[in-house]
Amino acid sequence: MSDSHETPSIDRRLLDQPWRFWSTVAVAGTLLGGIILGALIIPVVQGRSAGLDAYTAICRALGILPGSPAQPQPSDRVQRTPVSQVVWTSELLHILARADPARGRTKALESCAACHGETGIAVAPDVPHLAGQSGPAIYKQLSDYRTGSRAHDLMAGIARALDETALADIAAYYAGRPMRNPNPATLAPAPAEIITLVELGDPRRGIPPCASCHRAGSGGPIETPVLAEQRDEYFIQQINLYASGQRRNDLYARMRTIAAQLTPSEIAGLAAYYRAGFR
Amino acid sequence: MHSVKRLCLAHFWVAFAFFAAACAIGTWQMWVRSPLGASVGTPGQYYMLVTAHGVALAFVLTTFFIMGFGYFVATTALDRQLPGKAWAWGAYWLAVVGVVVAFAPIMNGQASVLYTFYPPLTGSAWFYIGLVLLVVASWIWAVLMMVAMTAWKRENPGRPVPLAMFATVANAVMWLWTTVGVAVQLLFQVIPAALGLVHTIDVGLSRTLFSWTLHAIVYFWLIPAYIAFYTMVPRAAGGRLYSDTMGRLTFILFLVYSLPVGLHHLLMDPEHGNATKFIQVVLTAFVSVPTLLTIFTITASLEIAGRLRGGRGPFGWIATLPWDRPMVLATGLSFVMLGFGGFGGLINMGYGMNAMVHNTSWVTAHFHLIFGGSVVIMYFAICYEIWPRLTGREHPTLSLLRLQLWSWFVGMMVMTLPWHWLGLQGQWRRVANFNYADPIIAGWGPWVIVSLIGGIILLASALLFLRNLAVLHRGAVLAVARPLYAIAVHPPQRVPAVLNSFGLWNVLVLVLMLVAYGLPIAQFLIEPSPSAIVHRMR
Repeated sequence: MSDSHETPSIDRRLLDQPWRFWSTVAVAGTLLGGIILGALIIPVVQGRSAGLDAYTAICRALGILPGSPAQPQPSDRVQRTPVSQVVWTSELLHILARADPARGRTKALESCAACHGETGIAVAPDVPHLAGQSGPAIYKQLSDYRTGSRAHDLMAGIARALDETALADIAAYYAGRPMRNPNPATLAPAPAEIITLVELGDPRRGIPPCASCHRAGSGGPIETPVLAEQRDEYFIQQINLYASGQRRNDLYARMRTIAAQLTPSEIAGLAAYYRAGFR
Repeated sequence: MHSVKRLCLAHFWVAFAFFAAACAIGTWQMWVRSPLGASVGTPGQYYMLVTAHGVALAFVLTTFFIMGFGYFVATTALDRQLPGKAWAWGAYWLAVVGVVVAFAPIMNGQASVLYTFYPPLTGSAWFYIGLVLLVVASWIWAVLMMVAMTAWKRENPGRPVPLAMFATVANAVMWLWTTVGVAVQLLFQVIPAALGLVHTIDVGLSRTLFSWTLHAIVYFWLIPAYIAFYTMVPRAAGGRLYSDTMGRLTFILFLVYSLPVGLHHLLMDPEHGNATKFIQVVLTAFVSVPTLLTIFTITASLEIAGRLRGGRGPFGWIATLPWDRPMVLATGLSFVMLGFGGFGGLINMGYGMNAMVHNTSWVTAHFHLIFGGSVVIMYFAICYEIWPRLTGREHPTLSLLRLQLWSWFVGMMVMTLPWHWLGLQGQWRRVANFNYADPIIAGWGPWVIVSLIGGIILLASALLFLRNLAVLHRGAVLAVARPLYAIAVHPPQRVPAVLNSFGLWNVLVLVLMLVAYGLPIAQFLIEPSPSAIVHRMR
């Protein structure tokens, strides 16, 4: 090697060329080796023992077809019966976002107000209040009545007579009605064990805290209803329907699992807790 | 020094102020998760402080330290003025503003998203905007590093760029590549969602883009330590660098192989096919090559120093090394931690073993050991080496420096080894507390307390570190003029252009990224994800 800094450019190119060539070959070789092993040899060999043809195994390895190249895919020909038909697609969220409460009011006066009240305050004890209820929650229940996921002689007929936009409008209307603002001075304090159940749940019985979903901003599923100011009769009735499995439109059987674990006194305590509002 | 002293010190002190605060927060976290502090604090506070701890260490300490160190190298290794110094100060203030803007929502509890960007966790838009400002500031730094090297090459045609600067620019180039993933994720997915402009985030795409950044960012943090290994340690030990070419290859391999490997953080994710994961795991295996090259080269360099100092026999040279010098001591301790941490990393890399440790404390312990241990201890050593050059004052005594390095090493080992062990027992990560009333979890208690003791030692060591630097800002000025950078056994007279520039390597990175990330990203655009796994903002 020369000590001179001034190497003629032709020399420098000669010095550089093998480096360029072999480093490119090394990197490309690594990459190619990885691809041949990972995308061809391994899936084909694994697929053979899983009873898959080479093409399917490679497509699965690349993620083009679902499933693993190493295992046979379980058959999905069994008829699935989803507990609810509602899927929170972005299209549906747009429909809910564009719902018109004024149109909803007109429809609500025709179809809903007789039982649920014009402002969402119901008269009969086994009818829920809707004032201030979450829009997606109202929509989900109406939709479930319509598809038969939730059973009710009267509600099924009413919901079937309405189209999807009407459901969204009605949901938006009642969601916008104010709650009643009960006087905090008249509220009795809740018993400590009920507050524990709401705030911490009971891990020994596998009961999560109610507040982990039923509190604004808690991060629960979008269809979680607001429980504040709901009336006792309706609350207890629904928990019991979940517990007995008669109501079954809760995803992953969340509420059925929880409700079956609750004692009658806890159900009554929770009903009183939520009736009080400000929850 | 060409008057970048104030610029460097301004960067370093921001870095270390956040470092000290984050160490205190970390100790608090260890305490509340232990049986001793089990009734202290709420999960909300815990996650808020995890976010503060992670952002302070992973983004503030590292970015500010690396920027400051880069300016130092650009002026000392190249021995010329820093071009665009006004830009450098502008970037500094932009980064400071970014940090303030990011920390306001964190401390307000509105961005408790840990320090990673994994929707469905989303925080205040200001948190993300602040971090984007920090990244933009680091881009200015990266460009300045490239401009400095280019200007030097123009003035010195045909000469090899000094290794310290070559490595710094390799890091800057890698950082520009690295940040593309998270920038796209933040600007097109997370920030619009946090502002309410869009209603959904495709979580799979988001995680994929974040993984693009996630692994290479670790090498961004690590390269300063390797710069110290190659360019400072041989000189500090009284020897020479065994091979300059090995150094260049190491930094080039980091640039090439640290990027197309991020999918190994998503081995347990369902949105990618086995083959794409496999290809990236193969490339991941190659990231260990530069580290192995470094261990070999630096050990060889130290052996030269040891033998020059009279060491005999196969191992006699180890004993004759000047272990009383902070840089040499830190390197020895760093190598021990790198050994344990690297071994853990090889386990994380394997698909099957990863499945067992993925959601356990093993992973948390791993990155504390490898980054907080082997990398940060070299940050300390670098500071001890260059602080006298920045303030013009010499360390009054080296014994407190050694005490600080030893205590950091002991604290890190005491904290992370039991933590690894608990991970193997199934202790999960990302949780605010443990129910020690559970008979299975109760057995973890004593080990968590041992970890806590390690954390307390680390906090004490961090404070001692600040003290060791702060004393160099007082007292009479003593001009020190010692050479800093090591000379190679065969100093390079000329090197092939590919070992002196990054053109070819950028092309290879592009090819690797297209192959490694092309399909994983394109699949989200070809066929939108099932709506069941798309996160809906409320």
